[in-house]
Amino acid sequence: MSVEIPTRARPAPRRAARRFALAAGLSLCAVLAGCATPPPAGDPEAVADFRQTNDPLEPTNRVFYKVNNGLDTAILKPVARGYRYVVPGRVRTGVNNVLENLGGPVRLANDALQGKPRRAGDTAMRFVINTTIGLGGVFDVAKDLGYPDHDADFGVTLANWGVPEGPFLFLPILGPSSPREVTGFGVDIAIDPFGWIGRGTRAATAASWTKTGVGAVSTRERLLDPVEQIEKTALDPYATFRSLYRQNRKGKLESMRADTRATIPVWWPGANAANTAETPRPTPPAK
Amino acid sequence: MLNRRRCFAVAAFLLAAGPRDGWAQAIEKASAFVRQTGDKLTAIVNGGQGAAEKRRALTQILEVAVDLDGVGRFCLGRFWRTATPDQQKRYLAAFHEVLVTNISSKLGEYRGVTVTVQRGRAQEEDAIVTTVVERPNNPPTTVEWVIGQPASAPRIVDVLAEGTSLRLTQRQDYAAFLSRNNNDIDALIAAMKAQTAGGK
Repeated sequence: MSVEIPTRARPAPRRAARRFALAAGLSLCAVLAGCATPPPAGDPEAVADFRQTNDPLEPTNRVFYKVNNGLDTAILKPVARGYRYVVPGRVRTGVNNVLENLGGPVRLANDALQGKPRRAGDTAMRFVINTTIGLGGVFDVAKDLGYPDHDADFGVTLANWGVPEGPFLFLPILGPSSPREVTGFGVDIAIDPFGWIGRGTRAATAASWTKTGVGAVSTRERLLDPVEQIEKTALDPYATFRSLYRQNRKGKLESMRADTRATIPVWWPGANAANTAETPRPTPPAK
Repeated sequence: MLNRRRCFAVAAFLLAAGPRDGWAQAIEKASAFVRQTGDKLTAIVNGGQGAAEKRRALTQILEVAVDLDGVGRFCLGRFWRTATPDQQKRYLAAFHEVLVTNISSKLGEYRGVTVTVQRGRAQEEDAIVTTVVERPNNPPTTVEWVIGQPASAPRIVDVLAEGTSLRLTQRQDYAAFLSRNNNDIDALIAAMKAQTAGGK
């Protein structure tokens, strides 16, 4: 693409501004269109590695990784450190529990969409017990009563339905993602009933922003040590985060699929054995 | 005829039961190995020695319990075969140092750790032993230990935490570094050395 150079020697200020905007826009386009160079086709192993990495937008992703890192160092990390310093550990756990409890309805919907009745039961019981006896979710009473927590989001639901992950994306603010996960993120927000209550009112907007803000600080506080450890030990932190993110997502899908607890009423003959049956083990190799 | 049938029955029994029994034993052995190693590590981590003393003791245990050469080869991936014997040697030496430094610096900060062995299972040629690691003021975490050659010479070949594999992450880190440095293995070794020099 060629940019037409104005013939007039001294452009009007407005035109200068427009030209600056055009130049800025073009350079942004160049950044956004930045693609990773695939290895030569003569090196099949390198090509296989490149395909497995599946990060065609790597140059762009790395730019956003740097931007996010800058924002994190300047804002989120200091706030998370302050939060850890000021707020006692038990209170922080309580805050995290409340946030987790607020995610109950979305988790329940995803458990159902994933076809996992036992998980849906766990989520429903957790929400009811922790909201009431657990005082609005502050205390995780349900865990001790035999209803353990688990993650469920629409990204995993899509994965379970066979939707491929797509190329790696590093998004501004949101961080590591993929087309599938970012779709799941949007759907989870859309189906959250807490987001519907009083939508449009000033109070609801304030509550939603508060939840997002507290959630970000709470999550970042929990990640302070692991992230620091990775930044200290990784030669290429971006690639390490990419790898960890993908493995973590894959692990969530696998542990969901491996949860094959049966739903048989307790009074049914042999129900206890079926209900507590563990997932089938892979058959050992015949040697 | 009967003889042949008996032979067949014995063969079928061996095929069906033999490996399974072998595996049960191997998993038993791997679990015991993880328990012993966990006990040794926690004794040092929770002990009262100084940081340098702890590091030395941890290094000794890790050198024996972890298949450092095997993990190192895995982490270099396809570049292992293109490396010269000299590069392989220097890489492995650097890798030993990196892994031991990383692990001991991480463990060195811990106090009051307990490791509880839960169960073992087979995965391909390896045994996976699940443990729960508990630290004061921290939620318990499930850590899985992948044990290579569980029947004969059990050694740790990988650690899995929350679905992530330590050696796979390391391998992808090195692969990314190499692809951004013209696949230069010497550059990788230099970066690894710089890391351990700065980390002490």
